[in-house]
Parts: sequence; C-alpha cells; structure tokens
Amino acid sequence: MDVNRYIPGVDDFKNMYLTIKFEMLKHIKRKRILVTLILAILIPLIFFIVPPLLGQGYADTANGFAASNLGFVNLLIILSGAIFTGDSISGEFENKTGLLLFSTPQRKSSIFTGKYIASVIATWLFVSLYYLITSMEIASIYGASGISVEIAQSFLLALLYSTSVVSIVFFFSSIMKRTITSTLVGFFLLLMILPIITAVFTVAEVDPWLIVTHNEGLITDVLGTVNGGGFGPGQGFNLTIFKPDLWSGISVMSAYTVILFLTGIVMADRRNME
Amino acid sequence: MISKTVECPKCKTHVTVQGNPGETTVLLCPNCNIKGKFTFQKEKTEIKTISYHNIIEVKKLTKMFNGFKALDNISFNVKKGEILGFVGPNGAGKTTTIKLLTNLLTPTSGLAYINNIDVNKNPTKALLSVGSLIEVPGIYDYLTPHEMLAYFGKIHRMNKNEINQKIKEVLKIVKLSEWEHKKIGSFSTGMQRRLAIAKAILHSPDVLILDEPVIGLDPRGIKDIRDMLKHFKSKGVTIFLSSHLLNEVKETCDRIIFLDGGKVVTQGTIEEILNRIKIDTIEVEFLNQLTEVDIKKIENIPEINSFEKENGFFKIKFDGKPETSNTILTKLTQQGLKVVSFSTKKADLESFYVSIMNDEKGVM
Repeated sequence: MDVNRYIPGVDDFKNMYLTIKFEMLKHIKRKRILVTLILAILIPLIFFIVPPLLGQGYADTANGFAASNLGFVNLLIILSGAIFTGDSISGEFENKTGLLLFSTPQRKSSIFTGKYIASVIATWLFVSLYYLITSMEIASIYGASGISVEIAQSFLLALLYSTSVVSIVFFFSSIMKRTITSTLVGFFLLLMILPIITAVFTVAEVDPWLIVTHNEGLITDVLGTVNGGGFGPGQGFNLTIFKPDLWSGISVMSAYTVILFLTGIVMADRRNME
Repeated sequence: MISKTVECPKCKTHVTVQGNPGETTVLLCPNCNIKGKFTFQKEKTEIKTISYHNIIEVKKLTKMFNGFKALDNISFNVKKGEILGFVGPNGAGKTTTIKLLTNLLTPTSGLAYINNIDVNKNPTKALLSVGSLIEVPGIYDYLTPHEMLAYFGKIHRMNKNEINQKIKEVLKIVKLSEWEHKKIGSFSTGMQRRLAIAKAILHSPDVLILDEPVIGLDPRGIKDIRDMLKHFKSKGVTIFLSSHLLNEVKETCDRIIFLDGGKVVTQGTIEEILNRIKIDTIEVEFLNQLTEVDIKKIENIPEINSFEKENGFFKIKFDGKPETSNTILTKLTQQGLKVVSFSTKKADLESFYVSIMNDEKGVM
C-alpha cells in the first residue's frame, strides 16, 4: 500500500474489521469451539428431555420454565468468555505469533479491539444459540405466545453480562504472560471468587451491588418468577438476600465492560514484544 | 524565496539551497554527487530535515531492559537497494535493533526511521513497505498457509485475486506449494521458517528486515534463501540482514556492521573489511617428511615468528608483509627443502570477527 494512501481512522477501522474476521476464523478452526457448542445445545436440552423421562411435568408457566433453564446460561457465558478471550492477547506474546502480527502496518489498538470484538461476537453467538433452543422448547411446550417480552429482556441482559465477562478476561489477558493463567484466573474469578465475595458481603448484610456476578442474577430475575430477596431478619432465620436492582445492575455491568476493556487496551498497547 | 547554505555530511562541501518556507527541495552535492532533501521551516530560517536516500536510518538508539543496556547509542543507515549485514554474537543487540525497527519494542532513547518516517511515532506508515522476519515467530498451527497469508495480504490491501496469485508465487519461492491448504501444525521447523519468510515477502516489500532467516533450514534451503536475497537485490529491494553465518553475509551483503555489547564495533563494505584483515599466516606443504634438523633450520629463519604443523600442513607465522613472504620462500628452498605448495592464508570474515570480538562468541 502506498504510504500516501494510508488514511488514519479509516484504515484503522478496516484493519480492525480484518482482525475480527481473522479471529473468527481462528475460533472456528480451533476444536475448543466444539466444547462451547456442545454446552450451548446440551444444557437447554437437558431441561427439555429429563423431566418427562423422570415422570415429572414442566413448570406451570413459560417464564418459570425459562427461569430454570436460563439459570445455567451463566456457566456458558463464563466458559465462552474464558475460552474465546483468555488467550486473545497473552497468546500472541506467549506463542510469539505477535512477532508476525505486531510488525505489520497496523495500530496495536486496532488489533486488540478487533480481538475483543471477535470474542464478544463468539460469546454472543453461543448465548444466542442457548436462548434460541430455550425459545424453541418454550414454543413447543407452551406455544409461541409463551415467548414473552421478559425472555427478550433476559436475553439482552445476558448479552450485556457476556460483554462484561469478556472485558474481565480480556483485561487479564492483556496483563498476564501466560495464556493458561489469564484463562484460569478469569474463569475462577467469575465462577468462584466473586460469588464467594458476594456471599461474604451478604452474610455481613452489605449489599454486593458492585460485584458483577451478583448482577448476573438479573438474567433470571427479570422473568418475574423468583420470590427471593427482601425477607429480613426473622425469628431463628437472619439471612438477608439482596436482589440486584435492574438499572443499577445494567450500570455496573456496563461500567465493568467499558473500564476493563479500555484498561486492557492501554495495558496491551504498552506491552513490549521482548 | 529564501537561501540557505548547508554542509554536505560526507565531503563537507558547502551547498546553497533555495526554496520557500515549508517547501522541500532536492539538492545534489556537486562534489560527491550525493542527493539530499531539504525542508525549510515555516519560520524561514532553519532546515528541518536532511536525508540522503537512506531507507533505514537509526540515530543514537538506546534500549534498556530493567537496568541492562541492550543497545547503547547506536547509529547507522541503510541506503536504497543495499543489503546490509548485521553481525554479532548472541546478546549483541541485533534482535533488539530489529524489534525497535519493527515497532515491537519502544526505544529508551534515540530514533529509528524507515523511508524518513519515525517508526515509533508513526509505525503504521513506516511499516507499510516493510517485510520482516523476526527471531523464530510462532505460527498459527491450526490454520493453513493460505488462510494465514490471506490475512496478511488483506492487511496490505491486496485484493482477492492478487492475494491468491501472490500466495502461490511466494509459496513456490519457499518450496511450500504443495502445502498451501494443509494445516501448519503438521509442518517441520524448517517449513515453518519458510512460511514465515513467505509472509515477509508476500506484499512485495521495498524493505526487507530479516533476523537470522536461514536458521532451521537445510543447506538447500539456505541456498534458496541466498538466491532469493540476490533476486530481491536485483529488484532494488533494500535488505537489512541479521545473521550469524559470516559466509552467508559475505556472499550476499554489500556492507557489514559488527555489533557487540549493544555497540557498533566497526562497519564497512565487504572489500573494506577484508582489506583490514592482516594476513600473517603461510601454509606450506613439503614433498618429503621433515626431519628434526629440517625443523631446526626452518625455525632459525629470522623472518619466521612461529612454525607449527596443522592438518597435514605447516603453518608459518610472519609479519604479513609480501616481501617477507618472498624471503621466507627463498630461504626455504636455499635450505634444500622441497616445497610443494606455499600460500598465504586467504582473508576471511571469520578471522576478522574473531579478531575484533573480545572472547569466544557464537559464530558458525
């Protein structure tokens, strides 16, 4: 390409788009995508197939069925986020593929943003597949009218939560040297450490509204079938359950998404290919 | 219109240049015929830049790693169409320099330009016309060469037809045509190296920066790369070649820079370097086996500094002067010794390398 034909901004976006396509190709080519695909299909199918096999019926309402089914979408989101994002930056440094990639005429920030968007798209695809299968099951059990607005709201919240999860793992990938570390730290932080902290806050009767995994509860809460929360200290039972507030939860997830994505970009951009 | 007198950096001749503020004027030194560009600053007084068709220009480049000075204030340039050999032992700073030139590292101080564009400030523009191979890069082993190269072709804004055509062309050059659609994971180290070279030349770059390009290649592969470099040189491509293989450097390069401890030890054309090598050894072969008496006679010749047997030949150390060499030959025959062959050892880069480096370094 002629130096004089390089247009900053326009070419940066074009490079970002090319990176997204390249990353998607890499995701498709790797066998790890199979694991996510199997989970995205298998989990909702279990909720559809197992109850009749055990001689039990489905929930009374479509939203009730969706709530039990979507209670496990969190696992898929964390797994997808860790798998697709864990090595996005650290992998280029650890495997030395960055020697090929970062010496090309494109801004590192374009590459990293493209990688981030590709991870978000990949995670969204599997979350969408999970919701698609769940919706098909609802339609077959309760009829098409069973697919409610609340399920659509739940879907949007799941996408937002997915994005914040990708941002968290992306941040670790940008600062850690080894792929396995960034993937596992992200995975266990979201699956175990943050929920433990939430539990500790709850026992101490402190609202854990700032913890992103606490707000993940909104994905099923919006379906309106959960009665928990709000019951305070009683005789012989003094556990307080804090329900995440919808707008506060959206704000927290958005904040995690933006802050950790931008911090990840800055940290990755400052890394040297030593 | 303003006038300015500048000094030619090579011959120090004063040359007058005229132009308007903000204008760039091309100037030719009448004495040494070096061309230069002069840009007048808008303030009408100062000259902003001077360049002399240097494609790569490194100025006082320093790189520190946690207190360790990997590069210490080095400066050099590579002219258009030139192949520059960058030679030095492990840890000399060769790869660090190359990484600074390709924006993989940020310099602690100093500047690196490619085509007059600051690599650190504007890497996207500076690297547009550069093809590079640095260290032993990782390869996306779950992709095929076609898939990997297509991405890099798109980054260089090649269209689909051009990409398909060039991929076939470069894979043919690196002898990987049959592997275009096979997974890279099944490739040997040498094949991966060839693929990395294919990536470097895919977009027909004007500048090639190659770090040990023949590592992992068999002798045939080494010859192929040597031929490829000569082919690119004939096309006017500027090549910056870091290598341990001194014979390869001698075969392909116009000029050499010797680097050690992060500093430029010396530099010059191959001819200049070879001329600097002092030849002080004569290899002699005698018709008959030498007796103790013969050896005593030889050792008593005053022009001979030392005399020893090595690999079937006798090696004579002397002061390196041609007339002394002639005297020694005359005296040997006068002693009645039957000389079969008598030759001064040829100058080679390895001898020079060993002579300028401090201790045993990794030369192949």
